[in-house]
Amino acid sequence: MKRVQKFSAILLAIMVLLFNISIGATTVKAEEGAPAYNYSFWGESVSAPDAYQAKKLINGNSLGIGSFNQPNDLHVTNDNQVYVMDSGNNRIAILDQEFKTLRTVDSFMNEGAKDTFSNPQGLFVTKDKDVLIADTGNHRVVHLDEDFNLVKIIEKPQSELLKEDYVFEPIRVVVDNADRIFVMAAGIFDGFMEFNVNGSFNTFIGANRVEVDPVEYLWKRLSTQAQRSQMVMFTPTEFTNLDINDEGFIYSTNGDQSEDIIKKLNARGTDILRREGYYSPMGDIRYPLDVGPSRLIDIDVTDSEIYSVLDSKQGRIFTYNGDGHLMYVFGGLGNQLGEFHTPTAIERVGDNFLVLDKELAEITVFGTTEYGRTLNEAVRSYYRGDEEKAFQFYKETVNMNANLEFAYTGIGKALLRQGDYKEAMHNFKQSLDQQNYSKAFLLYRKQVLREHFSTGMTVILLLAVGTLIFRKYRKMTRGKRVVSIE
Amino acid sequence: MNREIIKYPFYLIVHPFNGFWDLKYEYNKRINLIISFIILFLMIVTNILGSQYSGFLVNLYNPENMNSLMEVLYVVVPVLFWCVANWSLTTLMDGEGKFEEIFVSTCFALIPLVIINFPWIWLSNLISMQETAFYYFSNSFAVLWFLFLLFVGNMTVHQYKPSKSIGTILLTIVAMGFMAFLCLLFFSLIQQMVAFINVIYQEIVIRN
Repeated sequence: MKRVQKFSAILLAIMVLLFNISIGATTVKAEEGAPAYNYSFWGESVSAPDAYQAKKLINGNSLGIGSFNQPNDLHVTNDNQVYVMDSGNNRIAILDQEFKTLRTVDSFMNEGAKDTFSNPQGLFVTKDKDVLIADTGNHRVVHLDEDFNLVKIIEKPQSELLKEDYVFEPIRVVVDNADRIFVMAAGIFDGFMEFNVNGSFNTFIGANRVEVDPVEYLWKRLSTQAQRSQMVMFTPTEFTNLDINDEGFIYSTNGDQSEDIIKKLNARGTDILRREGYYSPMGDIRYPLDVGPSRLIDIDVTDSEIYSVLDSKQGRIFTYNGDGHLMYVFGGLGNQLGEFHTPTAIERVGDNFLVLDKELAEITVFGTTEYGRTLNEAVRSYYRGDEEKAFQFYKETVNMNANLEFAYTGIGKALLRQGDYKEAMHNFKQSLDQQNYSKAFLLYRKQVLREHFSTGMTVILLLAVGTLIFRKYRKMTRGKRVVSIE
Repeated sequence: MNREIIKYPFYLIVHPFNGFWDLKYEYNKRINLIISFIILFLMIVTNILGSQYSGFLVNLYNPENMNSLMEVLYVVVPVLFWCVANWSLTTLMDGEGKFEEIFVSTCFALIPLVIINFPWIWLSNLISMQETAFYYFSNSFAVLWFLFLLFVGNMTVHQYKPSKSIGTILLTIVAMGFMAFLCLLFFSLIQQMVAFINVIYQEIVIRN
């Protein structure tokens, strides 16, 4: 009897346990990743559907090449091959689009001898599949061709713009269409170093402006020369990363506290990023005080001027369209799939995202959800000027996320072209877009006035004539009355 | 007589010197007060309707932050503060005006704000971005007119010279600042006390 009791107690415990587990499992599923959000016109965070979902994890072991060690950079070529800069192992791993290992490279032939890398931080692959490696530990940039034969090595440039004791430590490197090489190096405050085709130093471009804190400035003005020399100098902030798009514009991020932490630099180094969104593209605009504003450490630009930035503080990835409207946010710090420990690099493979985690030495692959796909396509069609398609896609998008205000501008513009001014006005009102609303309104007003011109004019004329006759009539009768009284 | 009452405010805003004089010395106080309250009420209505129904191009408002009761306060509190501060100052500075007269003259000065802004609530729905300049121009014009009437009204009510009148007006604004500060202080103190009592109450309740 006792035994039966004991047995049933165990059974009960198991059942409770199972029940708990099943509950636990469901809750975990419900909370997968952080809830997605976007920012409204009023700067409030509003909920949004997930645009991306973590699909799988890749690490060195699963690739069969031994685990990565402190990987720092990623690059994806046009045919979707993934190059991973495995800094701690001083090697490059190349994966195909199914994320199978193609090969690894850890050395190259330099003047007949085998040469290796030392803590390389960044890499870039050109259209011809030449590979450039920022070989930080060896103070050089190595340029290899498709088959990893040496093309050239860029050493510390000889220039009067640089101090004698300057140590060249390239961190990231990109190459533009004219084969000019742009290097982001540690300890350089004057912008990116630009090298020409044969590797000789041209100039610096795109220096960040010095941000002066007024209080600090006052202190400096009040202090003596001797005191001043002891103080920290006002120096422009360093860049944190860069990327280049097909048209040769450099997109950069920096560690400023200003609103211009993302920049799009033209060949002259002028910032031409469009900031037409409801607020400047700068990652989070609302954040806990103890965390502070986003620190953007990587940027990836894809077609249609869509670009994404990676915030290292909260591990989030923000994607903006060319106008600077926030499209979607995903990621976060944590232990679940789709969250990171120390994210360092992001890249897009088609519409998928790769996020490289340095400490965990793994890559998370994100795939689009239906919402993300629709929104991507909407923004693309809009960028191409295909308003009919953009209209369809934006319509679908707002069906899934009514909080996405800028989508209504897309819908409104298509309606405006179709001549449905009233609906267009309504949509521009939804996206709080006064400029376009005004355009639609002017057309609508003209239309209404034209339609009702004849009736309106007739009524006015009739009224005018009517009052005239009425007055005359009253005058006549009154005159008569006066006469009759007299 | 009725016609007179309706016509008079309009006469006053275009002939302020005569108007305020008659207001102070000729007209029935009770009727003046009634008209003043009507004007104040219309001002409140204009304010509320304006923040809700003004055209999209001149009025971006967050419906979540729109509160009609607050709009009432935005009209009533400044008028009340102004009257109290002005009265407190002018009694010390040989002003001849009684509180009632100050209130009446202030309310009558609000008329341009009502009669210009009220039609613009609807007109602003019929203008484009380029035409909003007219809207802002009329608004500024209404404000300037209001300030002028306030000045003349104050001068007439207290029988001041223009220079002294300007001085009192500036001082009144400072006094309003003081009053606002004192009110904040008062409310925050009350809040602290209420919170303190609340905490004690909770502690006693939880203890038992």
